[in-house]
Amino acid sequence: MIRFQARFVLALVALALSPSLPAFGAAPLIDDEEAAAEEEEKEPKDRYLVVLGADIHTGNGEVLRDGRLLAKNGKIVAIGYDDFEVPGLDYDREVPADERGYELEILDASNVPNGRVYPGMVAFSSSGLLGGGGDYRDSIDMFNRNMLLGLAAGITTTGQTSSTAKLKRYVPGNFSRDYDFDGVVIGGKTLSTVSWGTAASKRSAREKLAGAAAYLRTYRQWQVDVKKDKELKEPSKSGVDSTMLAVLRGEIFARFSADYQDDLSGIARVAMEFGFRPVITGCREGWVVADELGRAGAMAVLTPRTRRSKDEQLVAEGGSSIENAAILHSHGVQVAIIPGSRGIDLGGIAGRDIMHLPIEVGFAIRGGLPDDAGLASVTTVPARLLGVGHRVGTLEVGKDCDLIVTDGDLLHYQTFVQYTVVDGDLVYDKQDELYFAHIRPRDDSLLAPLVPFDPAEVPIEEEGDDEGEDSEEGDDEDE
Amino acid sequence: MRRPARSALALLFCAWALPASAQETAQVLYAQKALICGAEGDETINGAALVFRDGRIEAVGTRGEVEVPEGAVEHDLGDRWIMPGMVDLHSHIAGSGLNDTVFQCNPGLRASANVIPHNDRMKLGMLAGVTTILFIPGSGSNMGGQGVLLKTGPGGYEDALVRFPGSLKIAQGDNPKRWGYGMQRTLMNHHIRVTLRKGQAYARRWEAYERGEGERPERHLHLDIFRELEAKRTQISTHTQYYQVVLASLNILSGEFGFDAYIDHGSFDSWPLSKRAEELGVAAILGPREVLWPRVNTYPKDGRVEGSAWGFQKEGHPRIGFNTDAPVVPQEELPLQSAMGVRYGFDNTHFAAVRGVTIVPAEVAGIDHRIGSLSEGKDADIVVVTGDPSDPRSAVEMVWVEGELAADVRGERGADREGVRQW
Repeated sequence: MIRFQARFVLALVALALSPSLPAFGAAPLIDDEEAAAEEEEKEPKDRYLVVLGADIHTGNGEVLRDGRLLAKNGKIVAIGYDDFEVPGLDYDREVPADERGYELEILDASNVPNGRVYPGMVAFSSSGLLGGGGDYRDSIDMFNRNMLLGLAAGITTTGQTSSTAKLKRYVPGNFSRDYDFDGVVIGGKTLSTVSWGTAASKRSAREKLAGAAAYLRTYRQWQVDVKKDKELKEPSKSGVDSTMLAVLRGEIFARFSADYQDDLSGIARVAMEFGFRPVITGCREGWVVADELGRAGAMAVLTPRTRRSKDEQLVAEGGSSIENAAILHSHGVQVAIIPGSRGIDLGGIAGRDIMHLPIEVGFAIRGGLPDDAGLASVTTVPARLLGVGHRVGTLEVGKDCDLIVTDGDLLHYQTFVQYTVVDGDLVYDKQDELYFAHIRPRDDSLLAPLVPFDPAEVPIEEEGDDEGEDSEEGDDEDE
Repeated sequence: MRRPARSALALLFCAWALPASAQETAQVLYAQKALICGAEGDETINGAALVFRDGRIEAVGTRGEVEVPEGAVEHDLGDRWIMPGMVDLHSHIAGSGLNDTVFQCNPGLRASANVIPHNDRMKLGMLAGVTTILFIPGSGSNMGGQGVLLKTGPGGYEDALVRFPGSLKIAQGDNPKRWGYGMQRTLMNHHIRVTLRKGQAYARRWEAYERGEGERPERHLHLDIFRELEAKRTQISTHTQYYQVVLASLNILSGEFGFDAYIDHGSFDSWPLSKRAEELGVAAILGPREVLWPRVNTYPKDGRVEGSAWGFQKEGHPRIGFNTDAPVVPQEELPLQSAMGVRYGFDNTHFAAVRGVTIVPAEVAGIDHRIGSLSEGKDADIVVVTGDPSDPRSAVEMVWVEGELAADVRGERGADREGVRQW
């Protein structure tokens, strides 16, 4: 896929390199090629990636038909339509690769029918995609098959038990520079589980919250008073639950696992009483109490296909509903979607594991969730919950260049991911890997079916006016 | 047994109360698209009108060409699509008593005794557009017993019954090994053969007797099903998977004994046998494990993740359908099974995936005179859907079963209807 032909690409890069354009002020400026060559030995070259030839769905509502995206050193620096004409650039001469002071890759997706670019998906949680455990900087398996399959499924970031990590896969050629282990883990722990099952656990959680709230009031009073009396001692945190304190200070999310409406409305009430936004996993009967959850600013992580009949003893509405995600969303609850199985299922039943994240979203849309909220449920919302919303989840200037190129609507059941890019590196190409290359291969693939040649179909070039309808034989003789 | 007993009573009542020849009022549906699922070249009609009355479809065509009876109730469905109710030939959710593995072969056991009509799981299936299922015993023994073809709609057993016996359930492969210690494939195939031989001989003795040759045989409930099979009034539905096992299914059931049999639960790598199956007239009903991941001990496939339907289609097999094995895959996910077939390579031109859950299984089970397409004279099992039925995003909004409106969940909650959609 590395080519260096498109003229405007030169222009794009030149723009990024140009000091005269403030939009790219952040880019290091290499005015002098000789100087750049000198530096080459010491510092790694800048890496540029250009994506073109497809519709860019930025993930925040904008769609750029046949748009272009430029990334530098793994970050997005420009998205648009322009050829970025830069005065003074020599368009008539291709700069040979060895004369360039930078690395350049061009991902031309025009070979993908109905090609679309989306932000890489964010799995709120998954299992086995990174091939390790604990500190992923030490344990990530960059040759892991499941990581490849995760990237093939369009997932570029995943939440793990206590951190958020990228799917950094080893691809020959991309790692002429050092493998970026430090770039694997991009977020720490953002969610702290609050037990909310038994009467005792609920009482205990509320008491801890009350204690933390009381401490915060005392602390704020001290902040005022200490200005008058510098000797005044800071109030003691002894006996105050540090997790709940972090929750009320907005440093961490309180995560509840709850499905029944009574439990859910209880969570909404403590959240409103103490003023924090609860994250609720499960949330099966959320639709029944969606207005309360919406008022409390709750965020839900759910599986739309969850099924449970309502409790027979319950007079009110209850049980699972395919409309759950849609109703929650319409009441202002941010919804993240996760399939029933968090791992890669090799058992042969397709459509319900982490590889089929968009299929799961499809069921929420069946229940009435709008398409954009569906995309958000596997991009921006989980990114926000994992504390990495400033880096991943949408395609915007300044964010990480984690993207996928699909052969159609991401949420359609037939759509496959054709390319996956993480931190500006192409780490998955459907036609280069074993697993799915044979399924509807791209035209440029070796696996693409040969177009049968039928001489009768070839239009006959008329040689002259006289030849007329009988020219067929004459053509044969000429050949 | 086509008209349910309750309707028969109602008809009697009508005959008493009203002048003779009373007919139900006709109903007509106008839809943006009708997936007819008829013969090739007759798959869809855009701008469709469909008339049904007395539980049967009377006419279907474009809006202009269909003659609407006077006084017909009209339903303008706007941009919705209509399609025939879907058919699942591998389902275990119509009742209890799944696996009475008394003997290694139990051809006399009847799933019909265990039916709980329109139970919650059938209802959920119906809400997804699945209106006919083959309820079969489990695969704990080599012959689990006789299945029953049922409608999922409301009513009692007689209302739901489409055909009994719906099939003889035979199971090969790994599950029936659990019947006893030391059970392996050779022994299982031996037992299947022995039972088939006994059964076929029994059926032929009866045939001879009915022709006036020989004495009246002693009735044997264990083997009665073989009279139905020998007369081609029912089929063998085979739980089979993997190349070798499917090969045994094809060669024994169809090749050796000549019964009408179909691959049911056709999981994993059976597709290289496509030509053999086609030669024997054996259809491929695939699921729930439609995708084969690369693993050792299979034929070399260069790491490909292969869809079963992709393989059968590639080899030119003409009859490919999908099943769920509900509750292994929930009943309501039958259309998703077809979608996954497409995802993993099955060419969906002319809505082949929809045919695979409607007319193909109906033909295979020999009930296509009543079920499987929106054709004149067939049961009015009609599903209203918001778009491509295989797409999980498409919602089923209305279902008629034999002309009776069994579900209507159109519109916004609160405004036009009470409660939420379960599915």
